[in-house]
Amino acid sequence: MSEVALLQIIGLCVVGTGILILLFVKGMFLRVVGFVAMVLGSFSLIALGVPQVASLPPAIEKFDLAKVKSPADLAAIGQKIFFSKGQCALCHSIGPSHSARCPDLAGIGAKLAPEFIYESLTQPQAYIYLDFRHATKPEEYPARMPHIDKDPIGLTKPEIFSVIAFLQKMSGEPISIKVEDVMDSQEDQTEAVEVALKTNSVSTSSVLVESDVAP
Amino acid sequence: MKSANQIPQSNVKNFLEKMPTLFKWVSFLSVLLLPVIAMAAGAETKAMSVEYRDVPGIGSRNLVWIVAQQHLLLAGFVLGVPIFGWVCELVGWKTKEARYDKLAKEFTKLLTSAYATTALFGGILLFLLIGLYPKLMAYLTDMFFPSFLVYCLLFLAETATLYMYWYGWDYMQGNKKAFHLFLGFLLNLFAIGIMIVPNSWATFQASPVVVGDGDAWTRAWMAMQNPTWWPVNIHRLIANVVLGGFIVGAYAGIRYLLAVSREEREHYDWMGYVGNFIGVFGMLPLPFAGYWLMREVYQYNQQMGITLMGGFLAWLFILQAMLIGVLFLGANYYFWMGITYRIPGSENSYKKPIMAMLVVLLLCLGVWMTPHTLVASLAEAQKMGGTHHPLLGVFGVMSAKMTVANIMILVTFMSFIMYWRAGKQETAGWAKAAKAIMNGLLAIAAVAVIVLGVWGYFVPAIIRINYFSVAQVLIVGFIMVTFTPLTALLLKSAKTTTEMVWGKMPIRAGYCLVLNAVMVILLMSLMGYARSSSRVHWHIYGVMRDTSEYAFSPALGYAAAFMSLNTFVYCLLVAFIFWVATLGDKAKAQQAKASMSDVPGGTPAMAGGAPSSGEKLESGILENHK
Repeated sequence: MSEVALLQIIGLCVVGTGILILLFVKGMFLRVVGFVAMVLGSFSLIALGVPQVASLPPAIEKFDLAKVKSPADLAAIGQKIFFSKGQCALCHSIGPSHSARCPDLAGIGAKLAPEFIYESLTQPQAYIYLDFRHATKPEEYPARMPHIDKDPIGLTKPEIFSVIAFLQKMSGEPISIKVEDVMDSQEDQTEAVEVALKTNSVSTSSVLVESDVAP
Repeated sequence: MKSANQIPQSNVKNFLEKMPTLFKWVSFLSVLLLPVIAMAAGAETKAMSVEYRDVPGIGSRNLVWIVAQQHLLLAGFVLGVPIFGWVCELVGWKTKEARYDKLAKEFTKLLTSAYATTALFGGILLFLLIGLYPKLMAYLTDMFFPSFLVYCLLFLAETATLYMYWYGWDYMQGNKKAFHLFLGFLLNLFAIGIMIVPNSWATFQASPVVVGDGDAWTRAWMAMQNPTWWPVNIHRLIANVVLGGFIVGAYAGIRYLLAVSREEREHYDWMGYVGNFIGVFGMLPLPFAGYWLMREVYQYNQQMGITLMGGFLAWLFILQAMLIGVLFLGANYYFWMGITYRIPGSENSYKKPIMAMLVVLLLCLGVWMTPHTLVASLAEAQKMGGTHHPLLGVFGVMSAKMTVANIMILVTFMSFIMYWRAGKQETAGWAKAAKAIMNGLLAIAAVAVIVLGVWGYFVPAIIRINYFSVAQVLIVGFIMVTFTPLTALLLKSAKTTTEMVWGKMPIRAGYCLVLNAVMVILLMSLMGYARSSSRVHWHIYGVMRDTSEYAFSPALGYAAAFMSLNTFVYCLLVAFIFWVATLGDKAKAQQAKASMSDVPGGTPAMAGGAPSSGEKLESGILENHK
């Protein structure tokens, strides 16, 4: 039995006990206790009915730079970081989106030089992109880009290079980031780099399926 | 002649015996805290070797969760009650109406009973934190040690003031009343200090700032001035008043249900009304304070804001909307019942407005409960064609939620105005014009709030947040600020057509008061979980990572079950404390009853307790009870 199912049974028992008290007990104070139990049990049941998502800490996955043989390997790692620890996809879209809070990154690897992308990630206020989606004058995007190399995201240099490699690959560009560049960016090349691949949303409920997420 | 150091031992013994037991315990605990804190500071290097300790079975995190929640809820009550207790006493002093003074004393009696238990849970929490999270506590002690000392001093001052305030109540009447009121003012001043100092420790964990060089006091002060400190201070201050008001209301509600005499029923009906009024009064500005806090969170760290509002906690805000909605409905329902049962004959003239208000509240609640972002994975976002649902997404955004929150506040305020005006006939010559102006203003305000809300969809977020939302709040605030004195002025010369009858509310009114209190406690527990979870896997966001096995935030269902458990335990604890506090009243009531039989027409003293006349319920009242 899953944890959710167990808690649902407990919640039902609490609500049931409350109803029984209200039906059969005459003592006023006990009736109030039964009423409170009913309210609290109902609240728990409702909360157990919504998608159950726990926030897990980033799993520390070690990968040895020595095992990265090609730029494609780097791009694959960059893709994981883009959608996990880097949290890029929380604000950026890949492809047009009117609800995106930050610029669309489709084709960005072809438009911008890697040095410029690096600067955009580490000094985001150096050059501000404006939103041209409006009929009137361009405006600033609602979300402010964080310094990606600082906490709480805190990507390392090799991780940032990997993300740039992914952006280039995703744009259909040849990957200009070289494995050697990444190796050089690592202060101690012999030490394995820890890449925290954040899987911060994990379903813990047996009831969570994709269709449940839509209202 | 005796010198100071020649005081006979018996005098000291007498003094200690006369000293209130609770005061002794609290002082003892406070004095104990100092060496414990010092030990924690000194043992920093030693503690670094042990980062965490665990408690078998329940787990260290769960244990701290329970104790911290109980402490915070008790503290919320203890810090909220003196505010309106003091205001109540002030009103009694100004209006010369003894019932307000008696009510204020009854509030304070509940406060003194809960005070020692709050301190006890605070002590347990401190020991647990030092024992279970030594590395974190060593860091916080190093950062905040001077503020710990300030906290201890404030605590001692608060304790001394509270006991002078409580035990000196009957003594400081007449000419001495002004001094008593000054003590009440000091009590609140120290209480606010006691609240804001630990707030800085908690908010530093969520929004730490870079602390530069300097001595210990400078560093502590720099750390205290973090971006979310004052928003949380204001939010908690108001929330404590709301919690205190609704808990007092629930206490009155239960006493009302248990009442056996007419006097008791009348008194606790009135007390329930006052408790509900205080809760509603505090609740009206609370969403604005919450909005300010969230705005500061977003400004401090966009990522934290997204985690809260659009990340894994998104569904939490739907639950929050549900709880707030039930609270608004409960508070309004209680007002409407008051119109129906306390002011006979009014129910017919107010039936239609009440129905309209109910419909508006339900519609607003529906909009408020519409989820904003439902994204759990990118695949799901792609299926919906974005982060928002194509149909309901229009109601899920902040522009819609701010609008309905303002409308709900307006409706609740008007419920109160309606209740206030019920059973009275304005006689002033300008009354008709004033009422027309008020109706016009209300309509304009409602339309303006809705127009700004719809307009908010078409302007950049920053303009909506900085101007439109602020304008909505100001409009609603303007209505409250102008309507209250205008209504008071109108009613000053009004003729009472129907006398207010206390003690005739139906049983469900008592349950309604209990429900409101449970909603507020759940809300505080829920938002505590939200604030804690927004730090994700950090003890101190971005500075000290949680490396324990409990570095995850549990899913909402598990957390809600825990909140329910905490709420239940808290309710039982408070019920026990209040039961103990009123044991003496029952004995006094019996004595008074015995002596009353010798004094025809005598009135029992009600200060600090319930009326003690043993008059049984009349059959008519019993009919109403069914």
